[in-house]
Amino acid sequence: MPRTTRTARTTRLAGAAALALAAALTLSACGSSGGGSTAAKVTQQKDDSPYQGTKLAKNFEKPDLQLTDTSGQPYDLRQQTNGKATLLFFGYTSCPDVCPTTMGDIGVAMKALSPEDRKKINVVFVSTDPQRDTPKVLRTWLDSMGTDFIGLTGDLSKVKTAARSLGIMIEDPVVNADGTVTSTHGAQVLAFLPSDDKAHVLYMSGTEEKTYEHDLPLLAKGVAA
Amino acid sequence: MSERSGLTDRRGTADRRFRRSALAGAVLAAVLGGGAILAACGTGGQDGTAAADTAPAKLSVADSYIPLPPAGGMGAGYLTVRNDGGPDQLVKVSSPAAGSVTIHRSTASTMEQVSSLDVPAHGALQLARGGTHLMIMDWQKAPALGDELELDLTFAKSGTISVKVPVKELTYRPGQS
Repeated sequence: MPRTTRTARTTRLAGAAALALAAALTLSACGSSGGGSTAAKVTQQKDDSPYQGTKLAKNFEKPDLQLTDTSGQPYDLRQQTNGKATLLFFGYTSCPDVCPTTMGDIGVAMKALSPEDRKKINVVFVSTDPQRDTPKVLRTWLDSMGTDFIGLTGDLSKVKTAARSLGIMIEDPVVNADGTVTSTHGAQVLAFLPSDDKAHVLYMSGTEEKTYEHDLPLLAKGVAA
Repeated sequence: MSERSGLTDRRGTADRRFRRSALAGAVLAAVLGGGAILAACGTGGQDGTAAADTAPAKLSVADSYIPLPPAGGMGAGYLTVRNDGGPDQLVKVSSPAAGSVTIHRSTASTMEQVSSLDVPAHGALQLARGGTHLMIMDWQKAPALGDELELDLTFAKSGTISVKVPVKELTYRPGQS
């Protein structure tokens, strides 16, 4: 991260980061759509980052995560996305609202990119309900949003550990009385830059599609946050 | 049945009896003391200015859509219930096109089922992405773009309103083409 001499800016950044972190860590406390609008304000109150998403002050390492991709092959997140811009989201396919909305918005923004830029960004969806999200289920679901989206599934404890290292909370999925499944998972999207493979920008759930459309070309070009 | 208190409408017979006597009291109060007291009792329907809380709800449904469910599975439904009258409550949703429709609220990290939703007087109840939504499962037949699926919305006071809800692209939002 570039050093800055202006303390005001540092404070503001720290404030934004604290807010983002607080939002990321106190997920369940934030019990209504009100949380979404607060998050939207965070992205509006801009620091001088070229990104409209929330710039992270703490740049999380990409988690060391080995799972199975949608073709049934082993997938090593660090190795296979090394040096590539990456968007990472944790969710589950029997989630009707937030997951398809978020992934669908990213899909629209990805399609707005030039083919070259599009190839430069990995969109990775990690299942928080691996028991039901088999590689095949994941592939069919992801194809609705982007046929080149990467879907990973496997050991839930690995997924939880990886998410925790990013400040994202995941709980074991609960099977409800009516047979539906509810998974509790932080619904934020993290953007990793190709330059250092670290997370630099955060998108809270409820981020508008336009925000992704604005930011993805920057991400593809590896513009610093 | 509902954990959200709000209206007293849907309780047992004891409650109804109470309401009836409250009504009688209110009518008496209206005769003796004029309209001002009525609002507090909540029963003064016919009396002009104080009538807001008990006027019949006047509901209409707008901007309804079902995003094409990914992989034909779990779906969501979104809509706005406008209300030009007194308060009401959405208590049930069903559809001949699906085996199960439930009302859910997305929080920052999970979803919770809710048993009813208030439709405020002279306001609107909005079911929108990332917030309160309908969760629709067990489709009779996988929805396709352009389908119009019936949703039957049952309200505590206004009865059931049936709407034809279009299936839109997964990423559709009202107000955008």
